Amino acid sequence: MAGTQLPNDPYNIIITGVGGQGNVMASRVLANMLVKKGYYVTIGETFGASQRGGSVMSHLRISKKDTWSPQIPKGKAHMIVALEPTEAIRVLADYGNPDVKVVSNTRPIHPAGVLAGDLAYPALEETKKTARGISSEAWFIDATDEALKLGNPILGNIIMLGALSGLDDLPLDKEDFREVIAKSIPQNKIDINLKAFDLGRELLKQ
Amino acid sequence: MSALLDKKEGAEHLLMGNEAIARGALEAGAKVAAGYPGTPSSEIIESLAGVAKETNMYVEWSVNEKVAMEVAAAASFAELRSLCVMKQNGVNVASDFLLHLAGSGTRGGMVLVPCDDPGALSSINEGESRFFARTVEIPLLEPGDFQEAKDMTKWAFELSEELKQLVMLRSVTRLSHASGNVKFGTLPTEESTARFRCDGFILDPDEGVVISAPVDYKHSQQHEKLKRAKEIFEDSPFNTYEGPDKPELLIITSSACTLYSREAISILGLKDRVGLLKMGTTWPLPPKLLTRYLSLTEKILIVEEVLPFLEENVKVIAAETASEIGIKKFYGKNDDTIPMVGELNPDHVINAIAKILEIDYLPRPEEYSAKTQGLAFFGAPQRELIFCPGCPHRASFWSIHNALELDGRKGFVCGDIGCYTMALLPTGFTTLKTVHAMGSGSGLASGFGKLGQFGLDQPVLAVCGDSTFFHSAIPALINARHHKSDFTLVVLDNSGTAMTGFQPHPGLKVNAMGDNVPDLDIAELCRAMGARVEIRDPFELEETRETLNELMEDKEGLKVLILRQICGLSPEKKAGKKYEMAINEEICLGENCGCNRVCTRIFRCPGLVWDKEKQVTRLDEVICTGCGVCADICPAGAITRKEAV
Amino acid sequence: MKIFGPNELLEEVINKNLCIGCGACIHLCPYFRSYKGKTAMLFPCTLEEGRCFAYCPKIEVNLDELSQQYFGRYYEGGPLGNYLSIHTAKAGPKVEKASFQAGGTVSALMSFALAKGHIDAAVLTDKEGILPVPRVITDADEVLQCSSSKYSASPTLSALNQAMTDEYKKIGVVATPCQVLSVAQMRMNPLEKEDFTDSVALVVGLFCTWAIDFRAFAPFISERVDITTITKVDIPPPPSEIMEVYMGEEKIEIPLNEIRELVPETCSYCIDMTSEFSDISVGVLEGRPDLNTLIIRTERGQKIVNESVKEGYLILHDIPEENLEHLMWAAGNKKKRAFVKAKEEGMINTEGDKKSYLRLQSKTVDEITG
Repeated sequence: MAGTQLPNDPYNIIITGVGGQGNVMASRVLANMLVKKGYYVTIGETFGASQRGGSVMSHLRISKKDTWSPQIPKGKAHMIVALEPTEAIRVLADYGNPDVKVVSNTRPIHPAGVLAGDLAYPALEETKKTARGISSEAWFIDATDEALKLGNPILGNIIMLGALSGLDDLPLDKEDFREVIAKSIPQNKIDINLKAFDLGRELLKQ
Repeated sequence: MSALLDKKEGAEHLLMGNEAIARGALEAGAKVAAGYPGTPSSEIIESLAGVAKETNMYVEWSVNEKVAMEVAAAASFAELRSLCVMKQNGVNVASDFLLHLAGSGTRGGMVLVPCDDPGALSSINEGESRFFARTVEIPLLEPGDFQEAKDMTKWAFELSEELKQLVMLRSVTRLSHASGNVKFGTLPTEESTARFRCDGFILDPDEGVVISAPVDYKHSQQHEKLKRAKEIFEDSPFNTYEGPDKPELLIITSSACTLYSREAISILGLKDRVGLLKMGTTWPLPPKLLTRYLSLTEKILIVEEVLPFLEENVKVIAAETASEIGIKKFYGKNDDTIPMVGELNPDHVINAIAKILEIDYLPRPEEYSAKTQGLAFFGAPQRELIFCPGCPHRASFWSIHNALELDGRKGFVCGDIGCYTMALLPTGFTTLKTVHAMGSGSGLASGFGKLGQFGLDQPVLAVCGDSTFFHSAIPALINARHHKSDFTLVVLDNSGTAMTGFQPHPGLKVNAMGDNVPDLDIAELCRAMGARVEIRDPFELEETRETLNELMEDKEGLKVLILRQICGLSPEKKAGKKYEMAINEEICLGENCGCNRVCTRIFRCPGLVWDKEKQVTRLDEVICTGCGVCADICPAGAITRKEAV
Repeated sequence: MKIFGPNELLEEVINKNLCIGCGACIHLCPYFRSYKGKTAMLFPCTLEEGRCFAYCPKIEVNLDELSQQYFGRYYEGGPLGNYLSIHTAKAGPKVEKASFQAGGTVSALMSFALAKGHIDAAVLTDKEGILPVPRVITDADEVLQCSSSKYSASPTLSALNQAMTDEYKKIGVVATPCQVLSVAQMRMNPLEKEDFTDSVALVVGLFCTWAIDFRAFAPFISERVDITTITKVDIPPPPSEIMEVYMGEEKIEIPLNEIRELVPETCSYCIDMTSEFSDISVGVLEGRPDLNTLIIRTERGQKIVNESVKEGYLILHDIPEENLEHLMWAAGNKKKRAFVKAKEEGMINTEGDKKSYLRLQSKTVDEITG
């Protein structure tokens, strides 16, 4: 469990993925957990057109004292949580810096151009290498595969949040997590979500 | 229970800007809310609709923005507080009524909330709603963060009632769709009664006739209201200054740009050199307040989006008071310090300040930037916008495209606004050739359809969605029928307003608040106009294509083809797959003559994946929604479908 | 044979208005389709070599290769091509006297071939109103439904392509000269596919001087009659110079020179009046509306004719000398006119990147063009 000091103020997280992956839900859960701990949180997102297979980003600003802009300035991300591996690279290009940390899912979602055979999609090993070359540390987690074992691919996002909590950069409690999700999901789904959260922490340690 | 109903004063919640506005309306005791779905505004009406029963509100998705404004105005005339919500272009649609409403004045507090989309993140324009406030002469407010989104909305109702005038509260995507901490106030407990008093003296604002005439009298009244607003704005807590007493550079800003500007000053470490004047009341501008701050320094940077509205209004005051405050050096849009086009972000403001104060700024080491740009090109292949798996539009445009090619007379399609606007792109086989405003596809087609007189022998088609049909296609169709214009309208009826989040419209049996309501039948309406009407299922490709060719060859004026199939994202579709799909890799012809990957290269449903190693197409069972259409486009019969159990 | 792909087919044939709509490129794949007489490419195909280009009778036709393959000799340019014998013919007693035109020879041959199992499917041309429609017939009794003459080009080979996908093993086809040329190319497996088998068991070629563009004909005829009431269209053999259009009992006559204006330019490049690469060719007999001219070209064609006569499906007679002379004169003229035009426009034996319409020995070209 982390202390209440943020490594940076504002602490800038980008949650990125492909439209329809559950970016918004993940950012909400994370933000609400931090609001509970007394932080000012700003989330910057776009909905609508970008959802139809396009790249999506949620910018989270976490601060003890102020409300910050919904867009993180270029090169100023502290943490990138990627629900899709190539999105991590795309976000690093604009918002990365030598100190940034990356936690990424491994499951690819192929862009239409790749499905159609027009574009090439990099192998996972290449993406890992690229990410590690332009960040201070990068972790890759088989979140979707593990989520499918648990019975629902959308749990992948919860596993990612669990992994993020395992880094101890932010004060992310399992208890806060439980209280936050209890407000928006049915009672009988809470346990599986908690399991996914724990699993995320486990996977990160490996 | 929705967080919006939290009665605890001082409770803190993480809210989207739109939700904060909705909460502000609830705290003000608004009773009626009307709007039309439009990104980034839709969540305001949606959140209010979600709590309408508990709060005894009437919340409506009106057929279009003009009617929405009229519905809200009626409530105001009947002494209720009302809210009217739309995206930026909606104000254009409502503008005739808006002009006259500003002239007639209001009674119960009425607030118009346009949510602009700088950068066109979900629009095909980045038009401005702020100028309407100046043009029709009503007060304009712009919240600068999430707390203000709530507080200013609540206050806007009070202001509106004091002035007996409509108040515009303008938001932008980066506020409406962003989220932040909001401390709640109290919710009112009194009930409201509606009563339209109109028997009094004709000019009585409370009991007379609600009208913008006699114009010279009413127009003067409008000016008095604006004068009063100016006075109030001089002391408004929503206009704030932070910074040194004698700044080197003064930034004047509003809306989401406040947050960018504040962040820019912080990153550059210039809190002691740069002052930030944030304006929450941006029309009419309070001249005394502005004069006071303009006097502080010579260099003034104005940060806003999209057009130089604030900038030009400030410059007028500066010109008028020049003898008092001296000559100023203005930076902003008109001198390209801030880009004229597109949305802003903290980096734009950082670069502007750095340029003016001649400071060097490097967000991160240059070698890092150089390294990542190159890597991103191959490491992150571009994602094009595509129709969802199972989308009926993919099938519809497949048939429309093919019917046009077979017809061979270089026919074309006038497009409209909705998910199907993406048919401009490869996902819809680049079928659309014009796209403008809601209903414009039909209007343009009505025009094209009369050009046979000048030798135009190309078949004319238009498309519109079911929601767009009710919004504004109907007058264009009546025009076409009456003037014997020759074109075919294809109504893409997917039972909802899909692009903005699947809101209901008059073609459905349910309304915003979930009540059962009568639905209107598009086919009957078109038949009543005298059009030839056909209805088909777009998933039946051959039948649809045949019907299209037949209609294009039918010279008899207006023809309407309704392609009816539910949106792939609708709850019914998401509940379960109709078909179990399978691909036989032995039969798949892949890149060979006879196929050349028509399914992945042309049809491009994301459920079909090209396996470069095996040289066959695979099925992605997670993404596939089981619509079954791909089985009909495979020339080898490698794709099969079986009814799901 | 030089083979290119669908983009070259589009550029060199379709966009240059050389396409006659024979149907050879249609239904091989999702991209080429025919609609009311016109060939359209629905979507782009990226292949550099395709069967569509290889089969097309209007581009890169190597007449010498074809003649070697089917007749064991170079293309010699004779007015009627290679043949074993020529006769007059008409349907025999075994064939129901239905509404065939002229002697009913084609219907007779196809009914015979289907009935006796020489073919398992017949690719014929039916009609809907005045629009020709390709059909695959497997029942001998249905052959007569397709027995009327069609004067606008029909994409009949699209049905042949479909019949081959449906895996019929012995297909018979009735085709015009351009289509017969295409079938000849098809049967040579130009793309050298390993799993190729020649499933065309019988090619009956028709005589043709020109075809009419359906999309020009339909409005033309609609100005004169109600197009939905037309029951039959006929162009009687020379010396007649009219087209007859029947609406049940009524009929109107249209001068042929008006009809000739509706002939697409591509027909003026056609070098073959009598379907020189068929097994059997059948056409009109001048002066005798009740008989056909019949040309036997190949051994298997000979076999079919012999047996159909024996079984009572066909009656043969000798062809009068002056008919034969006149036929050769007419066919020779068509060939010469086309060769001269093609040669003048640089469409024969081209070099470098330019695609050629025809390839054959230059001396033969010189002989034909005189």
